[in-house]
Amino acid sequence: MSGPIILGLETSCDETAIGVVRDGVVLSNVLSSQVDDHARFGGVVPEVAARAHVEAIRSLTHRALRDAGIHQLDVDAVAATRGPGLAGALMVGFSYGKAMAWALDRPFLGVDHMEGHLFAPTLEHPGFEPPAIVLLASGGHSQIVLTRAWGDYETVGATIDDAAGEAFDKVARFLGLGFPGGPAIDRASDGGDATSIDFPRALGDRPTDLSFSGLKTAVVTFVRRHHEAGDLPPLSDVAAAVQEAIVDVLVAKTMNAVEQTGVKVVAGGGGVLANRRLRQRLTEACAARGIRLFLPSPILCTDNGAMVAAAAAFRLERGETSPLDSEVDSSLRLGS
Amino acid sequence: MIRVHCPDAAATRAVGRRLAGLLRPGDVVLLAGDLGAGKTVFAGGIGDGLGVEDPVVSPTFVLVRHYRGLMPMTHADIYRLGSSAELEDLDLPAESADGVLVVEWGDAASQAFADDHLMVRFAVHPDGTRTLEFTGTGSWTGRPLQEVAG
Repeated sequence: MSGPIILGLETSCDETAIGVVRDGVVLSNVLSSQVDDHARFGGVVPEVAARAHVEAIRSLTHRALRDAGIHQLDVDAVAATRGPGLAGALMVGFSYGKAMAWALDRPFLGVDHMEGHLFAPTLEHPGFEPPAIVLLASGGHSQIVLTRAWGDYETVGATIDDAAGEAFDKVARFLGLGFPGGPAIDRASDGGDATSIDFPRALGDRPTDLSFSGLKTAVVTFVRRHHEAGDLPPLSDVAAAVQEAIVDVLVAKTMNAVEQTGVKVVAGGGGVLANRRLRQRLTEACAARGIRLFLPSPILCTDNGAMVAAAAAFRLERGETSPLDSEVDSSLRLGS
Repeated sequence: MIRVHCPDAAATRAVGRRLAGLLRPGDVVLLAGDLGAGKTVFAGGIGDGLGVEDPVVSPTFVLVRHYRGLMPMTHADIYRLGSSAELEDLDLPAESADGVLVVEWGDAASQAFADDHLMVRFAVHPDGTRTLEFTGTGSWTGRPLQEVAG
């Protein structure tokens, strides 16, 4: 007998993303990226995001159902991201999901966005099981989570200033490379020498916490000084060195968490985990330590609806559902 | 006007912490200075002084973050906003009614809060040290701002 078909709606930030999942298998996973809308601002603007979600969500839901080869009456439960995220953006998917659940007379589940990222690796790697150290890094979040068991999470490290994606965005904007910063710096670093400039790696005294503010300041100072002196290195070198500094910190802190906890499994999630250099370095670091690494493909690293459905499947199996008068929580904290 | 010299990030944070002691509900603190000048560090100090337990992290990506402390603290960043219409969309005055509003890149918002705000300007010197310059309008007249120097 097959498990329930779950529709997952994700609108916490700038992607309207919808997925259909059954028994850990992705039946469909569609998204309507707003990157072009936000590129002008060098980042996400909440009102712009919320309006774009409203425009996209209905047709996108129909596309997700069609791609999955099902009718809406086949949906057994509807899930939507409850938080964290931008309040106005969250409300669009959450309200749409509640309305749909009510109309179809199916259970509704509000899902923690970060728990969604934790479940994303299961969609491609059936062998992925806790306990695991999971690196979650995006524009809005950077944290290292110990998943002891499904539903049992501890944040063992987090950024004390900028998120990793934010560091990419700010440096890219300063260098005139555009938005989103991660892919822009990734592209600009092609052919660059990452070892030519030694940008700082912060927080050596706090093994699992992250900090990117000092790096940002160092890049600004470096570029201004060498611009004035007329000996600014090629942009590809600067971009490669910045990327290497960010990647170095993420990998080192994740490995510190592995050593502290003795856990033998590492996973990742969030848009920054789509970065090619980070994936390569994590792969090398885990291989060197005999640690099993489970990275979702880039489409499941960035925000997506399938991960919301996957986390909801776990909650539903435990008999948990959310009342239709529940509300979004823009500052939801994992495990609370 | 008060000027405070800060040799490092810890000093900048301490100035923020001392400023918190002067804050009242409804206050607006605008922070102006370049990328990497220490605005978020300073806001973190205000958070410390207000008893905010969560780490005060950069609001750039999400534009606005809310914290609970002795009084609510709203931490906004309008770096990415392109026009006054987008600024109005954020409705920052409503955010600050019963707590403290701290706005990074706040020079762009000084018109909206012309009657009553504290402006903190951050200057970075070639040796990496900073000077913070405090100018208040409205209810800030007569407050003992020199206390931020410690």
